[in-house]
Amino acid sequence: MKYLSLLSITLLFAACTSHTAGPDADEASINSLQLKLASNNLKYATPMKEYGIEGYYTGPFVADEMDPNKNGMYANKITISIDSLVNMQVYGHSIVAGNFRPFKGSYTHEQALWTFDVSEPGDNKYDGKFSFTLMDNTIWLEGTWVANDKNLAVSSRSYKLEKRDFAYDPELALPEDVTYDGVYGSYKEDNDESEVITSDALKFNASTQLLKKEDIENMYKADLEVLRNSIYARHGYSFKNRRMRYVFDNYVDWYMPVSVDITADLTELERKNIELIKRYEVHAEKYYDVFGR
Amino acid sequence: MLLLLIYLFFCILMLGIVLQYIPPGTDTAFLGIKQDYVELPWYLPAFYVHVFTAIFALPAGFTQFSRYIRKKYRRFHRTNGKIYVFAILLFGAPSGFIIGLYANGGWSSQIAFCLLAVLWFWFTLRAFVYARRKDFHRHRIFMYRSFALTLSAITLRAWKYVLIATLHPHPMDVYRVVAWLGWTLNLAIAEILIYKKIRK
Repeated sequence: MKYLSLLSITLLFAACTSHTAGPDADEASINSLQLKLASNNLKYATPMKEYGIEGYYTGPFVADEMDPNKNGMYANKITISIDSLVNMQVYGHSIVAGNFRPFKGSYTHEQALWTFDVSEPGDNKYDGKFSFTLMDNTIWLEGTWVANDKNLAVSSRSYKLEKRDFAYDPELALPEDVTYDGVYGSYKEDNDESEVITSDALKFNASTQLLKKEDIENMYKADLEVLRNSIYARHGYSFKNRRMRYVFDNYVDWYMPVSVDITADLTELERKNIELIKRYEVHAEKYYDVFGR
Repeated sequence: MLLLLIYLFFCILMLGIVLQYIPPGTDTAFLGIKQDYVELPWYLPAFYVHVFTAIFALPAGFTQFSRYIRKKYRRFHRTNGKIYVFAILLFGAPSGFIIGLYANGGWSSQIAFCLLAVLWFWFTLRAFVYARRKDFHRHRIFMYRSFALTLSAITLRAWKYVLIATLHPHPMDVYRVVAWLGWTLNLAIAEILIYKKIRK
């Protein structure tokens, strides 16, 4: 029971931080946040930025030990969130590969160096322990992670993450870099071909303009997928699906995973575009290279 | 014989395509990307009439061109021929014209499909009229043309399959190409056969 309430507090902080948009946030959204929190009348109502180190740290989460016989992912983009420091305990969470996991643990602060040792709850296959350090007045968080289960495809990782605020910005555009690589997992040995992402995927911003069927009907499936998933990426969605995760983790600098469920955050325009694009994706998947329909 | 087996194979594929529309829905298969039009009161009726009746034109390919059947089982040839003719004149071609008006790929493929429907209707009608007049020479000529267009149901899809497997074109580009390629080539082959076999 005690654990549950701790978890819910941690989750609450996660919710707070993911909606606190940092210095650029407009007055209205901060006011509405405080109103919302006040009306809930909760104990930890204000996001606590007491120590100045609380917040998001984002960057590559890179394998140290990888079992070559298992299908592991060498690097994923991770966000570690330090949510609060209370009674010499640190509470936070990490978001990586579509997995939102709370953690808690101990910390020390000596001669400007913060040292953290934290554990994930342990009831998820991929849980483990993080150890990281952070200097006062720097933006870099560095450390390692060791899985509880040593038989995982990747049993330890290291990371150097940059402190970064998250704010939804519909104007963010995909860089041309997304077209430089084949689609993850699409390589076929029998014909030595991979799916590619073409410049079609960059033609429209599906968060700012309402798409018509003529805009997208001639697009390849991978381009449609990137176009649709760029909407989720702007909202900080952490991708479970490796095809898209690979693209956004590796080639989109502005992308940072902060949430595993963004459905409530989508705008009406985005919802419409998602529905339209999805139709063409399904159609491409089922009928592009087959006889008939 | 081999040709008939290949034809049987494609007819079974076509039947499979038809069967996926049972029970009829507003969102099934091809209709998934036709959502702008399914709300028109005439689109879905035309679409389903086309799907479920045009297929009756295909069995003719097994029997009507056989000299043996024509000579030995005249009535069978006539009955089967009527099924073919009415399936096209009353249902397949008019419904094809209506859905052709809303074809994917813009005006180019819309013209291709509508023209296909008009010619299909015209050739079939002429062939039928000449049969009634016992002008079997012209009946044959127009049946070659009519059936060449009937076959476009198969050749259009086959071309699409081949072009995509080899060149990986954009989906709507290939559709615009096969909307024409699917039946014009058939018609050209029919004209060659007419010239070589019938007119001599």
